[in-house]
Amino acid sequence: MYSMVQAGSMGVPFVAVRGLLGTDILKNRPDFKVIANPFHGEEKVVVVPPIRPDVAVFHALKADRWGNAITPGLRDDLMMARAASRVVITAEEITEKELRRGDGVEDTFLPAIDVDAVVHLPRGAHPCACGALYKLDEAHLRKYMDAAQDEEKFKNYLHEYVLSVRDHQEYLQRVGLMKPSPEEKENV
Amino acid sequence: MSDPVTVFTPEELMAVIISREVRDFETVGVGAASPIPAAGCILAEQLHASHATLIILGSQEYYPFPAGSSELHFLAQRGDLDLFFLSGLQMDRRGNINLHVLGDYSSPKMRLPGAYGSAMLYYMAHRVILFRSEHSRRTFVEKVDFVTAAGVTPENVYREGGPTLVITPKAILTWDKGAGEWVLEAVNPGSTVEDVQANTGFNLRVSPGVRMTPPPTERELSTLRTNVRPKLERIYPEFAWTKIRLDKK
Repeated sequence: MYSMVQAGSMGVPFVAVRGLLGTDILKNRPDFKVIANPFHGEEKVVVVPPIRPDVAVFHALKADRWGNAITPGLRDDLMMARAASRVVITAEEITEKELRRGDGVEDTFLPAIDVDAVVHLPRGAHPCACGALYKLDEAHLRKYMDAAQDEEKFKNYLHEYVLSVRDHQEYLQRVGLMKPSPEEKENV
Repeated sequence: MSDPVTVFTPEELMAVIISREVRDFETVGVGAASPIPAAGCILAEQLHASHATLIILGSQEYYPFPAGSSELHFLAQRGDLDLFFLSGLQMDRRGNINLHVLGDYSSPKMRLPGAYGSAMLYYMAHRVILFRSEHSRRTFVEKVDFVTAAGVTPENVYREGGPTLVITPKAILTWDKGAGEWVLEAVNPGSTVEDVQANTGFNLRVSPGVRMTPPPTERELSTLRTNVRPKLERIYPEFAWTKIRLDKK
């Protein structure tokens, strides 16, 4: 996987990967090929195609209006962003000041040149965690895991939390992270 | 030498055995969901391997790279990783491990997260130690349902390293490269050769020099419970709290 994404980030048509031979992975991945190493006679080696997603979305701690962003922890986001054709950042906070590499020493810096769009989306990682800002919503993840066991339950889950949700504010209300606005209270 | 201690958890025992396998000055990687190897490596660092470079996924303290876990992956592929740890839902006599499915691949009884790079790491780390806290006939099988990472290397394929040991609460198995199978090397405190064989789902050959694993020493256990525990707590809090005892001194 890493190799496939890295090949995507490099723009090469395929990449060689060590190991893999002798496993059942090759039997189930017709897109993985075994070739003779063109530089080393008899040696057999696996080659895999690049992964080039149409869109990659990253949730950031901070982003600026130019597209620079800081995502939590040390991650491979830069490689993934470069593999994708378009990159969207959702961010907890939009800063007025231009962000620089040094602004996220313990975190990952994504430069504006690799980013296409920025969206202000507080709590946007829910139900997952966002660095030190908030933790996993375990109760909600359990609800999701339970729903994922059963086709009907999953349809209900999708309806309740995705398809029938007007916007992010409403999503946050439904998962209990935000109180309804005053006008909506009147409607109840 | 200090006196052996007789009261410890199976996880503590495995961590101590793992620590004895870590050599000073080497580069050691610990992957995701691997609290026992993490404990063992930190213990080794505290005892005899203070110059080892530890790379523990999920840790800030033991993470020497500027980017994510691809760093460990490619370091191993470059041939620079001395020791790595793998586990599997099933492991077999021929050194194969299964991290993919139970049952048939197209309609599995259980689907697991998958390879996580293990199909490459098993080839490219110089030494790979397999660990499993359940030593039973359902975990150690004659043939895994799906080969995620291969013990035996096909012809004309480059391999830097490969399997060396299996560590469980009951025993230490060692890899016989010539025969391409596991051999019982040592029996842990509380177990016997018969017990290990009865709980292994394949015909386990016994090494002519089979021995008893020396139990954890006072120094090993107290270091694990005092110095290692708080470091481990920052990576695997739940594990550290429940599996490593608090040293009452």
